[in-house]
Amino acid sequence: MPDVVVCYKWVVDERDIRVEKGELVFDRVGYKISDYDRNAIEEAVRIKEALGGTVTAVTVGPSSAQASVKDALQRGPDSLYFVAYEGELDSEATSLILSRVVNKLNFDLIILGEGSADVYAQQVGPRLAQKLGLPCLTYVNKVTVAGDKVIGERKLEGGIEVKEAPLPAVVTVTPDINVPRIPGLKAVLEAKKKPVQQLDLAALGLTEEDVAPRYETLSLKGTSTDRKQIVWDRKELSRLVDILIKEKVIA
Amino acid sequence: MPGVWVFSEKKELNLELLSIGQKLSSDLNQELITFCFSQQEAEDYIKAGGQKVFLLPEKEDEVPLEVYAETFLELAEKEKPEVFLIGATLRGKQIAAQVASKLKTGLSTDCIAVSVENGTPVFERLVYGGLGVQKVAAKSRPAMATIPEKTYPRAELGERQGVIEKLTQLVAGREKIVATKPRRSEALDLSEAKIIVGVGRGIEREEDLSLARDLCKVLGAELACSRPLAEEMNWLPEERYIGLSGQKVKPDLYIAIGISGQVQHMAGVRDAKLILAINRDENAPIFKAADYGIVGDLYEVVPSLTKELQNALGG
Repeated sequence: MPDVVVCYKWVVDERDIRVEKGELVFDRVGYKISDYDRNAIEEAVRIKEALGGTVTAVTVGPSSAQASVKDALQRGPDSLYFVAYEGELDSEATSLILSRVVNKLNFDLIILGEGSADVYAQQVGPRLAQKLGLPCLTYVNKVTVAGDKVIGERKLEGGIEVKEAPLPAVVTVTPDINVPRIPGLKAVLEAKKKPVQQLDLAALGLTEEDVAPRYETLSLKGTSTDRKQIVWDRKELSRLVDILIKEKVIA
Repeated sequence: MPGVWVFSEKKELNLELLSIGQKLSSDLNQELITFCFSQQEAEDYIKAGGQKVFLLPEKEDEVPLEVYAETFLELAEKEKPEVFLIGATLRGKQIAAQVASKLKTGLSTDCIAVSVENGTPVFERLVYGGLGVQKVAAKSRPAMATIPEKTYPRAELGERQGVIEKLTQLVAGREKIVATKPRRSEALDLSEAKIIVGVGRGIEREEDLSLARDLCKVLGAELACSRPLAEEMNWLPEERYIGLSGQKVKPDLYIAIGISGQVQHMAGVRDAKLILAINRDENAPIFKAADYGIVGDLYEVVPSLTKELQNALGG
């Protein structure tokens, strides 16, 4: 019966970010469990449903990310470790913190999303594996735990590659691996009773210096180009075709 | 000896890395060093500007490419490179992250631009699903980045001199390839297409793709799609999905059919000259990201549009 650890990130919902005059505007933004990590949680819970064992969720983020705890536990993990840190964390720092938490736990498999929905660096999984000295299967869209092995399938440019690694191992998953469930009333009620452990850097034997970013941000700008945003109904199709011809985009 | 290192398992991509590598090596006054799998590649990479080429040790077919992360690590700890650029394939990104972790250095994923400012490597990359572009200066060494295909032109081959050094030792990993299967794929270059028709979840059945195909035929357009249609439904090969983690295109006209307009999808078409959206939901975010929008049932609108275009273009 595998003990599975699943890591997730609480991120700003990019759908709420506006771009105004080339700047990103973050007022009125909501937050969410990163989309890819929802697939990771779902996969961990499915493995438990099929094989038994436990699912432990781990996250690191500012105290405002406490709002994620209920959401995460409703999705099925048995318990949760929350590492509070207010500053900016890069992938190196995040994976270092996660490795310290995971080292306190019994586990056979660690699952993460392929990347986070905000910065999408796609590094925390393989960095975590390297820090723990574990094999790593990245970008898989199918995971099978078989005895003391994990088998992962991924789509590469040239074809599908099926890899196998001994447990314990780290796996990162793509969004097509599953469709995360919507928690029902029972799951919502159960989540309230699940244990949550709070940690901070000191408890993990880390200092501010250990987690300082490896880069300096010089600028952060909005990218979207201004679009005309003219919306018609289908009666205007011939007028639209005239415009496409006039704009010389069709011929 | 330090240097600017570049590596990709894909030859075309490695040639692209060599072209930006040449720029960096001259700006930083460092040797340009690359890696290869065969003597032929080594010679080509020298012609493309590599001053030193390491011939990687051979591996068995069942050993994953990522095994070379250990090779790079050992060499990096000895040679202390200033910059290490890796081609942003899935395997390249895993190798880069593992190397960066061991060296406790920063890594910029999927960079859209690399430069040197005040003697420091500077990387630009997209964040927030493609809404933002973040520019960072590397504070740790080696300064590492992964770079997707077609970010830079290929280095031109010329008569140049360089050294080839053979690496022999391969550290065994614990992962093993147990099977490989071919998958439906096609040689396709959407980046050159002038008109692209993209389809999304609004299409209810696979056979309904014919509506979009008919439209493509009239326009001489390429068919593309959003990520779920390629990955979850498997209706179209992955070479045809547009988005942050898929193809990035720059057509004159992009027609989005039944696409909601997720930020990540739109990141792939932000360089389109004109975007036309057809969607049933008038509140779909695609209408804020399009130049022209038609609110309506795509099953009615698309055939009408095809007909209108046929009449107008005399096709």
